[in-house]
Amino acid sequence: MSNKKRKTYEEINDILYPKSIAVVGTNNVIGSVPYDIFENILHDRFKGILYPVSPSEKNVSSIKSYKYVVDIEDDVDMAILVFPSSVAHLAMEQIGKKGIKSMVIISAGFKEVGAKGLEKEKKIKEIADKYGISFIGPNCLGIINTDPKCHLNASFARAMPKEGNIAFISQSGALCTAVLDYADARHIGFSKFISFGNKADVDEIDLLYYLKDDPKTKVILMYLEEVTNGKALMEVAKKVIAETGKPILAIKSGRTAEGASAAASHTGSLAGSDEIIDAAFKQAGIIRCNNLEEMFDYAKAFAYQPLPKSKNIAIITNAGGPGVLATDRAINSGLSLGKFEEGTTKILKKSLPAAANIKNPVDVIGDARADRYNIAISAAIKDKNIDGINVILTPQSMTDIEAIAKDIVKVVGQSDKPIYTSFMGDTDVAAGIDILQRNNIPHYVLPENMVKSMAATFKFNERLKEISEFEIKQFSDVDKEKATKILNEAIAKNKTYLPEEEAVKVLEAYNFPVLPNGLANSKEEAGKIADNIKYPVVMKIISSDIIHKFDTGGVILNIKNRNETENAYEQILKNVKKVMPEAVIKGVFVQKMVGEGQEVILGLKKDNSFGSVIMFGLGGIFVEIFKDVDFKVAPISVKEVDDMIQSIRSYPILMGARGSKKRDIKSLKETIQRLSQLAIDCPQIKELDINPLIVRNEGKGCFVADTKIML
Amino acid sequence: MMEKEKVEAKVKKTIAKVLKKEENEIASDANFIFDLGADSMQSLQLIAGFEEEFDIEMDEDDALEIQNVKDAVEFIGKIVNK
Repeated sequence: MSNKKRKTYEEINDILYPKSIAVVGTNNVIGSVPYDIFENILHDRFKGILYPVSPSEKNVSSIKSYKYVVDIEDDVDMAILVFPSSVAHLAMEQIGKKGIKSMVIISAGFKEVGAKGLEKEKKIKEIADKYGISFIGPNCLGIINTDPKCHLNASFARAMPKEGNIAFISQSGALCTAVLDYADARHIGFSKFISFGNKADVDEIDLLYYLKDDPKTKVILMYLEEVTNGKALMEVAKKVIAETGKPILAIKSGRTAEGASAAASHTGSLAGSDEIIDAAFKQAGIIRCNNLEEMFDYAKAFAYQPLPKSKNIAIITNAGGPGVLATDRAINSGLSLGKFEEGTTKILKKSLPAAANIKNPVDVIGDARADRYNIAISAAIKDKNIDGINVILTPQSMTDIEAIAKDIVKVVGQSDKPIYTSFMGDTDVAAGIDILQRNNIPHYVLPENMVKSMAATFKFNERLKEISEFEIKQFSDVDKEKATKILNEAIAKNKTYLPEEEAVKVLEAYNFPVLPNGLANSKEEAGKIADNIKYPVVMKIISSDIIHKFDTGGVILNIKNRNETENAYEQILKNVKKVMPEAVIKGVFVQKMVGEGQEVILGLKKDNSFGSVIMFGLGGIFVEIFKDVDFKVAPISVKEVDDMIQSIRSYPILMGARGSKKRDIKSLKETIQRLSQLAIDCPQIKELDINPLIVRNEGKGCFVADTKIML
Repeated sequence: MMEKEKVEAKVKKTIAKVLKKEENEIASDANFIFDLGADSMQSLQLIAGFEEEFDIEMDEDDALEIQNVKDAVEFIGKIVNK
């Protein structure tokens, strides 16, 4: 995680709102990137002055060209570099000498092509730093600012999008052109469109800080291929959402399980990079989308309509089947179909045919024309029990599609409740869809996607209400110094694994509910320890060479008396020597065996980008099979701990399913909070498993039954 | 043994021909792309031009690393004076 100096709002604004631009390295070759960029700026009516800089041309598109940027007599606000990477440094030097402080570097051939390219990228960054230049790129499509004050298309996209309130930032340049084309077909406009490429200087975090305060932007879309600084990304995302209520929708590509297979702990194995991204995005409030279609489904809902105030929606349809499909998806996505007020039911009963379904979902039936839709939509909008309207239409011979679309447009302007539409089909409904899209009414081909999008906006609105609840509990009864000392001493001895006997001491320093225990080096000593801590006990091999104790026969459970203890001591040593004769044995750990309780797992994994990640889930030896776990990036707030516990499928078991007693959730919460504090205080810990943590009945506490720490 | 001045003159003559420039426009440290506006195709044509002018064979990867007149003179000088 780097400590990069963040760009100011003004530095990014200077790139996006220049009053004059030099395109450095342009030419007259139609269809080449250097030419097309210049042409796009010129013909998309940039509101400033444009200077072509070309060593080989006297003019570009009939505009006087300069051999060098330093030859331009006037001051220049921004440079767009389109020279090949091999000479980018020469151009950068001149740009710096000219006093230009803002740049977009379009050129490819940098970090993305390997070691030589990386050297070139470092060189241009050094020059930029020397002259105080802020730049976007290299290896990018460019930038687009639709604000009429500037109206800049400094990209090699085929066309400039229409003005809108959605900002799109992307690490992939080629994807940008596909997005522009997709959006254009659906009349979706943008405020800013930024391809940031290799992010050698300005990165997605700088851009998010800027977009937070950009008055033209209401919704932020982001495509990422790598998260370089996860912590900073989470921090800015939380600020964007908390301070402005702007949603961030993101696609993060590369859902791989790299690193997970080689992990030594359950947590390490389960916490793959994608699971961590998922958890971190969710925690920060970033809505992760699976694909572009889903991203734009949500984006148009956020951009064009108010957020639903409750989960109670209405569905109005002229087709029963799609109405049921939408209802099923709505319920599964966390929405409810609101119960109409008496007045609404009366109006619907009076105005709709007898065959119509006047309950929610309202079926205005197949032969409905605009008048029936109008009655149903107007009644639902006025209903206090309804906070969102979803209109479904299928095209029958008598369906006046365009009239219905126009009526919806009229109604939308009169209400603070969101209205989404799904005119199902293709050719027949095209004219109606066009009316809806041109008037910024969210439209979805499938009704399931319509209600799923409404669910996304509802959940986001709920999240906005919860922001003030992000309190992080700090325990004062912890001994950070003691834990740090144990960990640092182990690191100094090049240990990568802390055996249970030492790991337990770290947990004890943080007041985890650790069971009475002792380390024995003889069977007699084991017997004495067991007598002291009372039976039953569990005995485990302690060796820096043995991580998976069960696999070596190094664990014996439920030992009830002195005789069994002494026999178990000898049996464990015998088992281990047979399987791992070379292992250096430190002793046998004797620990009080806790009574009946639910086994859960707590874990910690250090991630290079996000820092320490906490895992909670159903415990035991089958944890990797059930994968009933949840992740959160530390530190975890009180509310987030609740969310973690409630998010696993096994939560009802903890709450006392099928006649069993409720487990001690309060004690479990405290233990997770203590782990979060340990994770922040002791970043030396690479992985930690507490598996199982036995959660006993309510009021009886929970206990660490087994633990391991990787360094 | 070909003198450096002669190598440089022939290098500039080739550059002028390929890039359609006047020889006196070409400085001794001029970069083919940044100062003279060569594109990627012309960079390849320059190598071919040098090979023809000096009757030599240049390793393509090494030759493409040459970015300016000075480097070209040095590189070609080494080959012709081997």
